[in-house]
Amino acid sequence: MKKNLSFLGFGMLFGFALSRVRASDYNYIYNMFTGTDLTLALVIVSAIIVGAVGMRLLAMNHYRGYQGQPIEVNKKELTKYTALGGTIFGIGWGMSGACPGTLMAQIGEGSLMGLVTLTGAILGTYAYAMLKEKVKDL
Amino acid sequence: MIQFLFVDPWPWWLGGLVIGSLVPLLYYFLNTPLGVSTGFGNLAKVLFGSRKLKWLQGKSFDNVLNHRFYMMLGMLLGAFISGRTMGIPISTEMGKFTQVLQWPAWANILWFLMGGFLLALGARIAGGCTSGHSIHGLANFHLSSLIATIFFLLFGAITVFAIRIFLMGGA
Repeated sequence: MKKNLSFLGFGMLFGFALSRVRASDYNYIYNMFTGTDLTLALVIVSAIIVGAVGMRLLAMNHYRGYQGQPIEVNKKELTKYTALGGTIFGIGWGMSGACPGTLMAQIGEGSLMGLVTLTGAILGTYAYAMLKEKVKDL
Repeated sequence: MIQFLFVDPWPWWLGGLVIGSLVPLLYYFLNTPLGVSTGFGNLAKVLFGSRKLKWLQGKSFDNVLNHRFYMMLGMLLGAFISGRTMGIPISTEMGKFTQVLQWPAWANILWFLMGGFLLALGARIAGGCTSGHSIHGLANFHLSSLIATIFFLLFGAITVFAIRIFLMGGA
């Protein structure tokens, strides 16, 4: 339970931050993709840099957590489907003006259309589970 | 200070600092990679059950009220607080899209349903989303995340370009 509350806390911080930089605002996403306002691109790039520095610090700490527990970094494997998935995701991102994280932020802010996008996302995930029955290595 | 943190939109660097810090902090305290989209699997299992689908019967969905569920709940709460303190109205609008196009409700619903569908399907096939791949993965220099992110951005830009030219008439 304590662990779940920690996740709740980190989630709150994440949702709050996404909302504060207006990543949950359709127009900001639209403007990023049309190149008219690169605020969100700067958020993403600076987050990657901060994350990389933090991971470097963890490496210097020999990947030990706060209680000395070992940290296992989740290695995302490159598959023959990575580019295909990226393409489908990109189209969905452009259409909905949301990515999974900012979608949660949209809904939290009170966007009713965000709930529609979420319904689609749940169906899309279920479709993946069905596809995976046919294509094992997906 | 309160105005800066709770009322005005944040400058990009503060957002980058907070969001980027989540990557090492989640590892340091909870040994968990940052990510959101797998949580849709939790919701799918709650709504439809696993119906003999191996992926949803897998170990990572044993308990649908696991850490991913609490993370998502937290994100809703955090954004709720932000939205209330910033005074964002509750609405069915979607910025420029609904403003310029003025489509009937059913058309908007179909469009965003489709968008969400592709978003989640693509995230699963690519193995992550903007947070899992683009932020967590790139911060860890994963090649798959670089490839995924290039395609996310490329096709996001192409799609928005197409919306702008073909639907909005270049507005």
